Amino acid sequence: MRSASLGLAGALLMAASPGGHQDRPPARVVHVVAERFSFTPSEITIDEGSRVELRITSEDTTHGFRLIGPGDIDVEIPRRRRGEARVVIEIGQPGEYIFECSKLCGAGHGFMRGTLRVRAKAAAP
Amino acid sequence: MFLACEVVASICLTAVPPATGRPATLPVSVQAPRLAQSGTSGSSNAPQSGPVSGYMDFHFSKPTDGPGVIDFHRFVLLFSHRFSDRLRFVGELELEHAVVEGLEPGGELELEQAYVDFLIRPEINFRAGMILAPVGIINERHEPPVFHGVERPFVDTVIIPTTWFDAGAGVHGSLGRGFRYRLYAMAPLDATELRAEEGLRGAAQHGSEAQVRNVGWTGRLEYVGVRGLQTGVSFWRGNTGFNTPNFDTSVGLFELDARFSRGRFEARGQHAHVFIGGAGELNDAVGRTTGVNPNIADQLRGSYVEAAYRVLPARFPHDAAVFVRYEDFDTQFRMPAGFVKLPQFDRDAWVVGATYWVDPDVAIKFDYSHVRSKSTVVPAPRSINVGLGWWF
Ligand SMILES: [Cu+2]
Repeated sequence: MRSASLGLAGALLMAASPGGHQDRPPARVVHVVAERFSFTPSEITIDEGSRVELRITSEDTTHGFRLIGPGDIDVEIPRRRRGEARVVIEIGQPGEYIFECSKLCGAGHGFMRGTLRVRAKAAAP
Repeated sequence: MFLACEVVASICLTAVPPATGRPATLPVSVQAPRLAQSGTSGSSNAPQSGPVSGYMDFHFSKPTDGPGVIDFHRFVLLFSHRFSDRLRFVGELELEHAVVEGLEPGGELELEQAYVDFLIRPEINFRAGMILAPVGIINERHEPPVFHGVERPFVDTVIIPTTWFDAGAGVHGSLGRGFRYRLYAMAPLDATELRAEEGLRGAAQHGSEAQVRNVGWTGRLEYVGVRGLQTGVSFWRGNTGFNTPNFDTSVGLFELDARFSRGRFEARGQHAHVFIGGAGELNDAVGRTTGVNPNIADQLRGSYVEAAYRVLPARFPHDAAVFVRYEDFDTQFRMPAGFVKLPQFDRDAWVVGATYWVDPDVAIKFDYSHVRSKSTVVPAPRSINVGLGWWF
């Protein structure tokens, strides 16, 4: 199942990225767990221009993953044992981006935030 | 900062259904997808969310020495609104015990949260309004499907008075490496509402024209940096004597807690210690005015540990767990000079039971609760409890 859905994600990537890097797989897969009321990890660092796939699962209810800024990503994370959300990102502008839960999930929903750091190529080791 | 960012190349989203479902995908390019369009769309079984969320729970309890009681304990609605990326509102309105009638004992209608968040930077954000005291596991995380047992733990009732909310303002944020904090000033507790048996339970003013001759300071530092482990320490400190103008009383509370899960195993534990300043004077003063000595303690203390095991393998669409919890709590741990500690308030409890999730958001709960006390005279309650709790 896992490899089948990887293929699916790859195909969609090609569909969504005209020209250039269709055959380039994500450089890295990052597993993220959402749970009332945190994301783990809550800090993710990627390299400028690298393609990273976030695979986000929930330990409880439906959450949302919204990346403020680039691309206006806002996707639903299915409930526990109901699958995963996958987000493939490739950001060319170094900086710090906030991600947050965008689906009201309980009393502490407002604490579900994290930081995506895009590090400039020169700074990467 | 974000407005200046330029996204190069592509962004693609897919939602992958569980192994048993039909593949359902939502490719998205740089256009913003709406949350409602994503997730496991394509399956008619996908949950549909309305404009409000909330939770409810509903209990049947049969004490061994009395008639059974059925109670629609909580009906809670949550609302949120995003004014902008930096400005948010969250509200939580709770009806307890189903019916509220003027001047009658029974239910309560409570505004548990209604705050605005001013989101500045990950490290520092401001919050003001009706807020939850950031103390313990349950107070800020109390949706019925996320804790075992029909009722909340005793420690989270008489030592930490959940749901503990009041008017206040403060800061919260992330310190990096999985550490985050909150620090608030809130309306103080009312010393005249402290009770020998139920500790702090009734002492919060709940933002209802709250007296703020003094404020209460409260905070929490927590670590959520490793998958499966959440741990935190919290405190409360404030003078409480606005109803006793001739002397001052105070409440200090220190708490630490942890939750852990690995595979099918889950555990949590919590310890809370309360210090009441001026308890002796308070007992004298209340005794003089009402004729009854409230016998408030200098110190209260409570702890619990809980272990649970998820019994169904991951391929099952449903989930079930068995659990056992041991609690030790004493609302008269240390008495002021001249006051006698009563043994019936030095208690412990075993709670054993099961939680069955028909859906990740709908839990059927069953437990047997056996409270014991050091008293040989006053009987301690035992009960069988059944509950249904859901989040939507
Ligand atoms: Cu959430």
